[in-house]
Amino acid sequence: MNRFVALLAAACFSPSVFAAEPIRIGLMAPLTGSWASEGQEMKRAVELLAAGVNARGGLLGRPVELVVEDDGGDPRTAALAAQKLASRRVAGVVGTYGSSATEAAQGIFDEAGIVQIANASTAVRLTGKGLSLFFRTCPRDDQQGRYAVGVLAATGAKRVAIVHDNTSYAKGLAEQARAGLAAAGLTLAAFETVTPGERDTTTVLTKLKAAKPDLVFFSGYYPEAGLLLRQKREMGWNVPFLGGDANNNPDLVKVAGKAAAEGFLCLSPLLPQDLEGPEARAFLAEYRSKYGAVPGSIWGVLAGDAFRVLVKAVEAAKSTEGARIASALKGSVKDFPGLSGKISFDGRGDRVGDVYRVYRVDAAGAFVLRK
Amino acid sequence: MEELLQQVTNGLAIGGVYALVALGYTMVYGVLRLINFAHGELFTLGAYLGFTFLTSAALGPRLGTGWGLLLLALLVAGLVAVSGALLERAAYRPLREAPRLSAVVSALGASIFLQNALMLGWGARFQVYPDEALPTSAVTLGGTRVPVVRLAVILVSLALMAALWLFVNRTKLGTAIRAVALDRDAARLCGIDVDQVVRAVFLVGPALGGVAGLMVGLTYGQIGFTMGWSYGMKAFTAAILGGIGNVPGAMLGGFLLGLAESLGSAYVSSAWKDAIAFVVLIVVLLVRPTGILGERVAEKA
Repeated sequence: MNRFVALLAAACFSPSVFAAEPIRIGLMAPLTGSWASEGQEMKRAVELLAAGVNARGGLLGRPVELVVEDDGGDPRTAALAAQKLASRRVAGVVGTYGSSATEAAQGIFDEAGIVQIANASTAVRLTGKGLSLFFRTCPRDDQQGRYAVGVLAATGAKRVAIVHDNTSYAKGLAEQARAGLAAAGLTLAAFETVTPGERDTTTVLTKLKAAKPDLVFFSGYYPEAGLLLRQKREMGWNVPFLGGDANNNPDLVKVAGKAAAEGFLCLSPLLPQDLEGPEARAFLAEYRSKYGAVPGSIWGVLAGDAFRVLVKAVEAAKSTEGARIASALKGSVKDFPGLSGKISFDGRGDRVGDVYRVYRVDAAGAFVLRK
Repeated sequence: MEELLQQVTNGLAIGGVYALVALGYTMVYGVLRLINFAHGELFTLGAYLGFTFLTSAALGPRLGTGWGLLLLALLVAGLVAVSGALLERAAYRPLREAPRLSAVVSALGASIFLQNALMLGWGARFQVYPDEALPTSAVTLGGTRVPVVRLAVILVSLALMAALWLFVNRTKLGTAIRAVALDRDAARLCGIDVDQVVRAVFLVGPALGGVAGLMVGLTYGQIGFTMGWSYGMKAFTAAILGGIGNVPGAMLGGFLLGLAESLGSAYVSSAWKDAIAFVVLIVVLLVRPTGILGERVAEKA
């Protein structure tokens, strides 16, 4: 039911491309569920790029066929989606967004000998399991945690409250940040949990307010962040909030309302509107002309990067075999000009380099880069 | 003390929604001995219908405030009630005399069907109620700031429950509902139209659920097509806690569950909020297997 199979063979290909059997590339994304807006952007970005590859004559002389599966942002659905993709014999998989979904899928891909390049799953332990076919174009949460503590200290706050939502990602990031507080001279005022999918956060907010923090760090995702901000305003409490990198989605402002979202600080890799470099500019122009707007979140762009680097590795390896693609990603693919900057992977499959910035939501509800 | 008062208000506001949804479960169970798993989706339908009316250009500006909200609530309640009655006609009546398990499977199927229909109708992304439709004023009670909408949720749920209690206990149709709940065959022998009673139950229960959905939309702004699952689960728990099949029990169960959640997360740990709520349920069921207000009689053969 939730299966989207997009055969991206447009009518303009040379006959040789048509004759060959297509190379299938999987995309696993949260097309439904709380994170559907992220999943839809991932799908748009990757479909656009796949159409571009086919228009240029395909990959290894064969057309690229995208196989899209919905993981619903849920580990159980993700495991099923991974099995479906594996049975379709995809050469590699792009995605997915949530770390818990990736965690449920990565073992299945590894056993099937399929390379997976996640675009937004930043939980540390995903690359700590020794899975040689797993990569990611996003940074890691220990990096983010260290950066978060630096940002917290720079705001002049002394007492910090941390809130997470019990997902692999949010809990991991919250613990990374908590571990670094003392060294930065900060005290922990409270460490609380909200339940994703439930709309009421007032009990947690009331408890936080009683702990009197100077600043609250929320390590969860944008739907809950929006609810927290809106309900915080309703309570008449104006403590500043800093969010982790799963909050850089315009839907946060939609849920919170502009008045409540203004002043919200957010950690993020460079957002699409701030990307530089010829690849990014060309991609954004193409994206805008096809869909009418630039992508709202960076994770869709990083899914595009995962797709591009996967295509590059298949070309370099001249093979669709998982192990050979993986060794190309770790070897010959160095400083690949990605949409989000240069891409190289280390031995564990993590992306090399430092990418975090701080954004602030302005009165118009836009995420603005803080210099 | 101030924090405690605030947490009690929070718990009652959440509990009011649980209680309203729980009434739908408990009424259907009382009459048909069937768990209507699709009830959570009818609740979601209420939230989405409210969203559609408020965002529509013609109706939105008129329905957003004062008496408009009352009209909106009636509109949503009416449409959800009709959907509930249609659901009963399509998914449950053909199975009325079938083994109870068939009806349960049909209920699960109806739930999945409705959830996907909601997704196809309104999209997979969550929707947000228009900002200007959401009431933002607040009152100060005992030194704490309480948003008016939360007080309204508590008061509206209490009023609806009182109305339901009067309906069930003081009207002829209400008496018929109680008679069918007690013994369907005997009621039929007394000349009660069982089909009419069941239809009434499937109009009233979903109407209350739909209003609860609308209130959730107005309180929190954000609605999604899967929201019926988590609220339905909690409301179902509340119905069992209070004694399923028992109308005052569902109200009590809803408020108790809301309080257990907010106080548990405030004074024990927010990470264990759901665990605390379910521990309360288990303890109550161990002491009173039929729920707090459940009848002690063994189920009739």
